[in-house]
Amino acid sequence: MSGATGQDLARELLQFDMPVLASALLALTACATMGNWLVLRKESMTGDAIAHSVLPGIVAGFLVAGRHSLVAMFIGAAIAGALAVVLANLVQRRTRLESGAGLGIVFSAFFALGVALLETQGARQVDLDPGCVLFGSLETLFIAPPPDGHWLAGVAHETWVLAAAAALVTILSLLFSKELAALCFDREHARVAGIAPRALEPAMLFVTSLAIVASFEAVGSLLVVALLACPSLIAAPHARSLRARFTISLAAGGVLTIAGYLLAAHAPAALGTSHSLNAAGMIALLLGAAVPVSFMLLRLSASVRRPISRRQA
Amino acid sequence: MIACCAIASSAPLMGANTSLVLAASAIFGATAGAVGTLALARRRSLLADVAAHASLPGVCLAFLAGEALGLGGRNPLLLLAGACVTALLATWSVPRLARLRGVGSDGAIAVTLSFFFGLGAVLLSLIQSHESGAQGGLNHLLYGNAAATTHADLMTVTTVALAAIVLVALFFKELAALCFDEQHAAVLGIAVRPLDLLLLGLLVATVVAGMQMAGIVLVVAMMIAPAAAARAMRGSLTAVVSVAAAIGATSATAGVLISRSAGTVPTGSAMTLVAAGIFLISMLAAPSRRRGVPA
Repeated sequence: MSGATGQDLARELLQFDMPVLASALLALTACATMGNWLVLRKESMTGDAIAHSVLPGIVAGFLVAGRHSLVAMFIGAAIAGALAVVLANLVQRRTRLESGAGLGIVFSAFFALGVALLETQGARQVDLDPGCVLFGSLETLFIAPPPDGHWLAGVAHETWVLAAAAALVTILSLLFSKELAALCFDREHARVAGIAPRALEPAMLFVTSLAIVASFEAVGSLLVVALLACPSLIAAPHARSLRARFTISLAAGGVLTIAGYLLAAHAPAALGTSHSLNAAGMIALLLGAAVPVSFMLLRLSASVRRPISRRQA
Repeated sequence: MIACCAIASSAPLMGANTSLVLAASAIFGATAGAVGTLALARRRSLLADVAAHASLPGVCLAFLAGEALGLGGRNPLLLLAGACVTALLATWSVPRLARLRGVGSDGAIAVTLSFFFGLGAVLLSLIQSHESGAQGGLNHLLYGNAAATTHADLMTVTTVALAAIVLVALFFKELAALCFDEQHAAVLGIAVRPLDLLLLGLLVATVVAGMQMAGIVLVVAMMIAPAAAARAMRGSLTAVVSVAAAIGATSATAGVLISRSAGTVPTGSAMTLVAAGIFLISMLAAPSRRRGVPA
């Protein structure tokens, strides 16, 4: 009997928990890697702006070509994102507003348009809930194999998209790490060294947008923003090199992602209620809390070390 | 004045409660425009976004506390108090996080948003798994829904917004000095720190008052867009604040009317789109800024 329940448990793990966790970790890989570059350039706000402005494009893409049309989703998002960039530049040039305020107007307006499209046109055709837009639908990414098919056929399409995005972002970041690092730390030096910031900067923004759009449907705009900024800032006080920064951010982000999912999915059952909590929200909450904790740990370790060395001296 | 015309012309077409909704939204819009102008000048506008997102966990905690105490979850005063507490906590933590090495104000905003809005998402999912929570209508707070407001909600919104606007009028000279020239204000003997706290309090009060109608996610647009549109027109500060208040009231009432007639469009989306449209027009109509040419 214990063998049967063990088998059930294993099956539930493989069919429900593993694919959801894998999707969340792939989103972490894609977003946190690009997020490291953004944070080093002090441009976390840009990620926030992109994550909000692509919504009307995604909804319009689904409306034109039907749900699950990835090409339409990416083309729509690209058009919306490009339009938002053009408008934000126009606002920047024509007004004396601080850049955050200009961006704030543009991305709020685009997000508002997306939500309005979703509510008026999309209720039936798009099957994208305005709540999911913010808080994701991680919980639905379990494997649902067709009755006579291979289990791979049951993997949610969001998971495949995330895997492709994570692979692309990792490969590009490794290939161009020297150029991107030069761009982040000394733009002028990069220009003199022949790295051409004018070509590399838009390319970087484009890849960042790809990572964001790929993650958007699965994890929602809240967790996208959290994944872009928090892992890199968790690593900031401890990393002495670029490689350490990426390693620590991905490792800490991974641990917190797994912990957040487990807390949301299984802690309520352990406490006796049947409903699970929002996983994307729980992961974002842990990531946000971990940044000040990480800085406190540095201060703590420094204060532990100092008295000893003084005593020895 | 435009807002008053909107009320007068549309009231007979709709239900009995509509004029009350329109009046409340006009007062909220005017407050958002006026307070937004000051926040924009003090470069605090994105703090309004943080405050708005951070009010969600406070509302949810207040809802749960209300249920537990037997007051009913949807007690407007309790929800408002909860929202203010977490919103103030978030705005308090942003400058502290921004001071940490390598974080900066952009990073601090992202981190604070992740924590507070994440907590809100978790609590919202907890509330909605209960039967009473599903009927509580807290999900309307995300994008705003004027049609779901109760009489008590409207009274609370109006009181808070009116109080904020009265405070702006009372301390207008001091706030203006603070926002445009902090050092000058200090020289004049104005207590900068308490005044800064007042501005923060006004910001949080406005955002929290607008939650029901403009929604948590989009309320920041109602703080920035009317203020930015009014600034593009230029003029004395009094003129800019008044124009911003008028644009805010117009967009808010127009948003309510549009979302009523279009049925499913959330009120917050409609308000944001109207306000952003007015901003776009005023920006394009304003004489373009060229170096060396006095505008």
